[in-house]
Amino acid sequence: MPREKVFGSCAAAVADVFDGATVLIGGALGCEGPQGLIEALAQRPVGGLTCVFSPGAAPDAGGFSALEPLIANGQVVKLITAFPWLDDNGLLEKQRRSGKLEIESLPQGTLAERLRAGGAGLGGVFIPTGAGTRFGGGKETRTVNGRECVLELPLKGDFALFRAYRADSLGNVVYRGAGRNLGPTMAMAARVSIAEVDEVCQPGGIDPETVISSGIFVNRVVESPQGSTGRTAE
Amino acid sequence: MVESNRLDANAMAQRVARELSPGETVMLGSNWPGLVGGQVPDGFGVIFLTENGLAGEFSAGAANDAGWVDSNGQGVRLAAGGSVSASVDTAAMLRGGHVDVAIVQAGKVDTRGNFVHWTTGASPGLELPGWAVDMAAGAGRLIVMLEHSADGGESNIVAQLDGPADGRAGAGLIVTDMAVIRVGSEGLELAETAPGITAEDVVAATGAPLRVTGETPAMSFDPPPGTAPAKVFGSGREALADVPDGATVMIDGFAGPGGTPHYLLTSLRDHGAKKLTIISNTAGIARVVNFGTPPGKQAIDHTILIDNGQVSKAVASYPVSPSASNPTAFELAYRRGDVELELVPQGTLAERLRAGGAGVAAFCTPTGVGTLIAEGKETRVIDGKAYVLEQALRADFCIIRGHKADTLGNVVYKGTSRNFNSVMAPAADVTIVEVDEVVEPGELGPEEIVTPGVYVNRIVVRPRDFSPYE
Repeated sequence: MPREKVFGSCAAAVADVFDGATVLIGGALGCEGPQGLIEALAQRPVGGLTCVFSPGAAPDAGGFSALEPLIANGQVVKLITAFPWLDDNGLLEKQRRSGKLEIESLPQGTLAERLRAGGAGLGGVFIPTGAGTRFGGGKETRTVNGRECVLELPLKGDFALFRAYRADSLGNVVYRGAGRNLGPTMAMAARVSIAEVDEVCQPGGIDPETVISSGIFVNRVVESPQGSTGRTAE
Repeated sequence: MVESNRLDANAMAQRVARELSPGETVMLGSNWPGLVGGQVPDGFGVIFLTENGLAGEFSAGAANDAGWVDSNGQGVRLAAGGSVSASVDTAAMLRGGHVDVAIVQAGKVDTRGNFVHWTTGASPGLELPGWAVDMAAGAGRLIVMLEHSADGGESNIVAQLDGPADGRAGAGLIVTDMAVIRVGSEGLELAETAPGITAEDVVAATGAPLRVTGETPAMSFDPPPGTAPAKVFGSGREALADVPDGATVMIDGFAGPGGTPHYLLTSLRDHGAKKLTIISNTAGIARVVNFGTPPGKQAIDHTILIDNGQVSKAVASYPVSPSASNPTAFELAYRRGDVELELVPQGTLAERLRAGGAGVAAFCTPTGVGTLIAEGKETRVIDGKAYVLEQALRADFCIIRGHKADTLGNVVYKGTSRNFNSVMAPAADVTIVEVDEVVEPGELGPEEIVTPGVYVNRIVVRPRDFSPYE
């Protein structure tokens, strides 16, 4: 009997997230993040979380607001991101300055590749990105075909919370427009991957040739309390 | 100088657009570079990539259409023929050498083209790399858009950055709100000035040596000319005409007919290039297993190249027949000493191809540790687990089998015929796809495209009367 993947609520879907867990959180610039799951997690008495959250950011496009409930509660002790979008009075920056929040920043493509390595079972990858810059410092390097490369290590999560468009009850997932972002890679890289979607359908409701995240990578699906994958509120 | 003569962001974007040529793939950073997409004529023929995974040309769209936003968070409408990618694929396009031009908004640039992406003066010790580091490392040319000097008058162009760079020696061209500046081996050279701004104004506002030679031309804002080269070829022979002797060619295929570019295989045979290295899952197994082959016929596979004496080496995971009494043509050639073989486990083959296309130079995989596969290779223990170091695989040409392509080279596959095709397409210098049908841009849904046109150079239609058996 296959394990039931469809959860009735976001609260039930994140009920086993534990203190000190590493949580990969999807989200895309200008698109809605897994807000139902984030808010459910913010209701739970868990802390010490390491979060990977890198939705992209532009000055007026929202950026980190999706993560605010967790940051505001002080549940996050470490944030791994390419876009620590800041302003002088930002919540993120206040917590960083007070020493409650550590931020590791790295290039977005490197973040994606480290997650992919985690999801694909690789021990590490040699890539040219960041060699000779401040993002290559302190890492093993080697020259391959005349190009300096740095060794980047895999990144894995205990949980992944990501927003998608539709899922079937077996966990096959499709995304909408530019909302794909880090979702499919995070889904691969976590032990428990949870997709928050507009709609859960029966198997057959998604054309097999269009599935982006295979049910092999997705453990739980839940319909979003937010409704459709709209843009973040203005 | 009159301060109001400074260009606004749209005018800078208009000037940057003049650097682009049809057929190029151009990644736009967020903020000002995002405006460049709106500055080329409709149907200009570049593929713009945004930081959030859109590929294609686009225009302003509805503000509330779920998921359809650009990397500035603005509503966007993809032109027909666009596609969407995940971030991991955008990263692969950059590192893998598939992006001709990247446009980044920088905080500061120095005379060597080193740059800092974003000033984080409010937050010392914290960097915001975003996509800029990936763009600097991966793109063929890098154009930096820059506010020439800060409000207080301090120049954002400096002799040398006072800290480590985000992008090292990357920028070739700097477009500011005052000027266009080229970064050469001898430092910065003034190329053009904005209307109403003199060369002296620019020199005075620049915190680094700036060469000015003769009369500096004023910037032009005319839209760039040109049309993209056509990707659809009339026949397999035409599409393969430049395959030289000694080329490395990727060819997909399993034991059955699905996924094999049968027509291009016959074209490659007729073309006749010799001493080929083929990279392929099998080295021609369909002919001996004959899954689905009609009675009295033989399946077309790699065998036709081997029988024609064109192959000198195979990199493959399935080079032999399942039956010792019914060997493949490749096995017979191997026994004769006519061909070399590099044997690769199937998953490692896929991963090496992916690495080749994604600009991953080498990777550590547990597959093959402690077996013959690991002999002669570097092994290492990471986090208590043993890994073999495997190298990326690339080829000069790749022939793949799609189901449909649009004229821009976006491809979808049919059923399980996807197999190695989608991972091979990014891994060759020239990728040629054989399809059942070529359709107009817009007929393939942007979310359903599996291999984006970024990776596809040539398209050939398999003739309607072509049989995969002979």
